[in-house]
Amino acid sequence: MKKYKKYFSLMSGVALSLSLVACGPQDDAKGSDTKEADKSKELLVWEDVMKGEGIKDAIAKFEKENDVKVKMVEKQYTKQIEDLRLDGPAGTGPDVLTMPSDQIGTAVTEGLIKELDVDDATQGIYTEAAMDAQKVEGKVYGLPKAVETTMLYYNKDLISEDQLPTTLEGWYDYSKGVANGEKFGFLALFDQIYYANSVLSGYGGYIFGQDDNGSYDPTDIGLNNAGAVEGAQYIQKFYKEGLFPAGIVGEQGINVIESLFTEGKATAIISGPWNIEPFTKAGVNFGVQKLPELGNGKNMQAFIGVKSYNVSSYSKNPELAEKFVEFISNEENSKTRYEITKEVPAVASLANDPVVTESPAAKAVAEQSKFSVLMPNIPQMNEVWAPADSALQTIATGKAQPKEALNQAVETIKGQIEAKHGKK
Amino acid sequence: MQHRTIAPLLSIIPGLGQFYNKQWVKGLVFLILGASFVVAFGDLLNMGFWGLFTLGTEVPRDNSIFLLAEGIIALIVSAFGLGIYYWNLKDAYKNGKLRDENFPVTSLKSEYQNLIGQGYPYLISGPSLFLLIFAVIFPILFSFALAFTNYDLYHSPPANLADWVGLETFAEIFTVDIWRSTFFDVLAWTVIWTLVASSLQVSLGVFLAIVVNQKEVRFKKFFRTILVLPWAVPGFVTILIFAGLFNDSFGAINNDILAFFGMDPIPWMTDEKWARVALILMQGWLGFPYIFIVTTGVLQSIPEDLYEAATIDGASIFAKFKNITMPMILIAMAPIIITQFTFNFNNFNIIYLFNGGGPAVAGSTAGGTDILVSWIYKLTMQSSQYSLAAALTILLSIFVIGIALWQFRRTNSFKEGA
Repeated sequence: MKKYKKYFSLMSGVALSLSLVACGPQDDAKGSDTKEADKSKELLVWEDVMKGEGIKDAIAKFEKENDVKVKMVEKQYTKQIEDLRLDGPAGTGPDVLTMPSDQIGTAVTEGLIKELDVDDATQGIYTEAAMDAQKVEGKVYGLPKAVETTMLYYNKDLISEDQLPTTLEGWYDYSKGVANGEKFGFLALFDQIYYANSVLSGYGGYIFGQDDNGSYDPTDIGLNNAGAVEGAQYIQKFYKEGLFPAGIVGEQGINVIESLFTEGKATAIISGPWNIEPFTKAGVNFGVQKLPELGNGKNMQAFIGVKSYNVSSYSKNPELAEKFVEFISNEENSKTRYEITKEVPAVASLANDPVVTESPAAKAVAEQSKFSVLMPNIPQMNEVWAPADSALQTIATGKAQPKEALNQAVETIKGQIEAKHGKK
Repeated sequence: MQHRTIAPLLSIIPGLGQFYNKQWVKGLVFLILGASFVVAFGDLLNMGFWGLFTLGTEVPRDNSIFLLAEGIIALIVSAFGLGIYYWNLKDAYKNGKLRDENFPVTSLKSEYQNLIGQGYPYLISGPSLFLLIFAVIFPILFSFALAFTNYDLYHSPPANLADWVGLETFAEIFTVDIWRSTFFDVLAWTVIWTLVASSLQVSLGVFLAIVVNQKEVRFKKFFRTILVLPWAVPGFVTILIFAGLFNDSFGAINNDILAFFGMDPIPWMTDEKWARVALILMQGWLGFPYIFIVTTGVLQSIPEDLYEAATIDGASIFAKFKNITMPMILIAMAPIIITQFTFNFNNFNIIYLFNGGGPAVAGSTAGGTDILVSWIYKLTMQSSQYSLAAALTILLSIFVIGIALWQFRRTNSFKEGA
C-alpha cells in the first residue's frame, strides 16, 4: 500500500495547486501601455456608401499634414453602429464613423462613442439645431456632417411654379379640384409620424418635452395635447374626403406614393432629399420647395435629421481621431463634400454660399431646416415610432378618432418606456 | 484492494491507471492527452468559467457578451474533456476487473480493431458532429443563456455589464400589461393562421394532385408544369407583387377583378379581417405546389390493383378515395404536413413583407396580422431588447417543439421507424 501513498500525495498536490490558480483575468500592468505608443499611427474611417469620394481629398491632405495613414471604408451609415458593436471589441473597428443623430443617444448609452472636446468657436460654425443633435446631456459626441429634412416635390408638367399653393389649405383646395380616384393633387404619408410630425408640431404638439438645456424629458410626451389633436384632425380630413387614397396607408404606402408621383398621377408629394436622384432618373420634370404653411400661419415643422462624424470609444488613437473629425467637418471640407455628394452641409455660413443657394434642392433643405424640429436622440425615441404610426394609421383609415387614438398611443409609449427603459 | 478499485483511482490522473495495468502506450496517450488538455485549454477554461459566472466585473475591460460566449465554449470543451476522462476511468476499471478475474488485459491491437469495427459509424460522423456542436448547439445554448440575463440597451458593453437575472425576463412578459395582453392576442391569431393557412395549402395541393392524376385527364405534364409555377417564383417576389395587387385603391384585385363582378372594393390592407384573409389566400398560393408535387409522387406509388379490387367489390369513387387514396397519402406525407404547420407558425416573410404585420391596431404593440415571430422582431429590434427576444424565442420554441413532438408521435410513419 505504501507506494501508492506517494501517488495520492502527488495527486492532492496537483489538486491543491489547481485550486490555488487565481480565477479570472489577471491584470498585467506592465508592457501594455508602452506598446500602444510606438504603434504606427493609422486611422480607420467608416464613411457612408457612395459618399467616400467626397472626403478623399480631405483625407489626403490630413495624411500629409499629420504624417499618418488614413484608411477609408464605405458602409451604410445607419448600420455602422451595429457593426461597431462587434468590430469594436474585436479590435477591427473604426476610429471615426458616421451615423444619423437619432442613434447618438443609443450609442452613448452603450458607450460606443467617445465624448469630444470641441471648443465653442468650432461648435459655433454649425447651425444650432445641427449642433444640438450632437449633444447628450450637454456633452458633445460628434460633429455634424449633413442635414436632411423633408420638402415638397411638385411636378412642373402638372402645375406651374407661380400657381403653387403656398399653404396646406391651398393644396387642400387644389387637391379637391384634381383628385378623382386616379389622379391626385397633393399627397403625403401622414399616416407615419416621421411625416405627420410636421403638421402635429406645427399646431403645438411635440414628442418629448425639453428643459432649458435642451435635454429631453421622456416622461413629458406631447403627442396628445390639444395642438397634436388639432393637427391630427386636420390630417384626417385629407383621408376622409378621398384626397388621400386608402392605398397609400400602411407599410407599402411609400412605394405607392413614389410611383404615383413618377407616373404623373400626383401633382405634389412630401419626401426627403434621397428621392432627388431616383426622380431625376425616372425622367420626372419636378421642382422642390420648402413645405407649405399651415392653416395657423406657421410653417410645417418637419423632422430634421443630422448625419454626423463620431469617434469610436474603441479607437486606439482617440486624439488623432478627434482631430480628424474636426478637420473633415470644417467649413472648407464641408463645402467640397457638398459639391461632390450633394448632401447639404450643416455649416451655417454655407447656407448663404452660392454653391448651396444655386441648387434648388439644397436651398429647399436649407430653408426648411430653419423651421424644422430635431428628431429626439434619446433611446426612448425608439418606443415612439410604432405606437405613433399605429395611431396615425387608425386615424387615416377612420377607425379611430384623433383624440382617442393619440391618447392610446401615448399610453402605449409610456408603457413601453416604463417597461424597457424604466429600470436603468 | 482489488485491481478494479486501484486502477480507476490512479486514473484520476489520466494514464496512471493504465500504467498500473501495464498498458504503457495507452497510458502514455491518456497522460499526454490529459496534460495537453490542461495546457491548451487551461486559460480558456479559467477565463470561460469565471466569465460565465460573473459576466464580467469591470468596465470597459470586460465584455459580458463575449465572456458569455467564451463561457459556453468552455462548457463545451469541458464536456469533451469529461467525456475523455470518463473513458479513461472506465478503461482503467475494465482492465483492472479483467486482471482481478485473471484474464489478460485487452491488447492495443484488439482495442484498435474494436474501435474500427464497432465505433466506425461514430468515427466517420465525428467531424460533422464537431461542426454541428459549434454551428448548431453553440448558438442555441448562447441564445438560451441570454434569456436569463438582463442584456439590453442599458446593459450593453462597453459602457455597462450584463448580469444574470434568472427568470425575471419571463416573468415580465406575463406581468407587464402592454405585453401580456398583446402576447395572447398575437398567440391566438398565430394559432389560427397556422391551422387555416397550412390546412388550405395542404388540401389544395392534395386535391389538385388527385384531380390531375385521374386517368381521364390528358396533358398531365402540361397541368403539372402550370401548377408548379407558383413555386418557381421566389417567395418574396410573389409576396411583394401580391401586396401590390391587394392594394386598397390601386390594386388589380379591387379595381379589375372585383369591379368586373360589380363588387365594391375590399379594404385588404387596412382592415384587419380582410388582411388576414388575403394572407391566408396568399399562403395557399405559395404553399400548395410543394404538396402537389409530393402527393403526385405518392399517388403514383399506390398499386393499381387496390383500386381494381375495390371496383370489383363495387366501391364508389368516394369510398375508394376515403379507404385507399387518403390513408396512403397520409401515411407517406404526415411528416411533410407537420413541417408545413411548423413552417407557417414561424412564417415571418409573408407577414413582414405583405403589410409589415399591419394594419395597425389601436393601443397594441402588434399589428392586426402580426404573428409571434414578427411581433418579437418588432418588439426587440426597435430598442435592443436582446434578453426579451431570447426569452420569447424560448417560449416560441417550446410551443413549436411541443406541437411537433405530439404530432410526430401520433403519426404512423414514425412509429414504424422507431
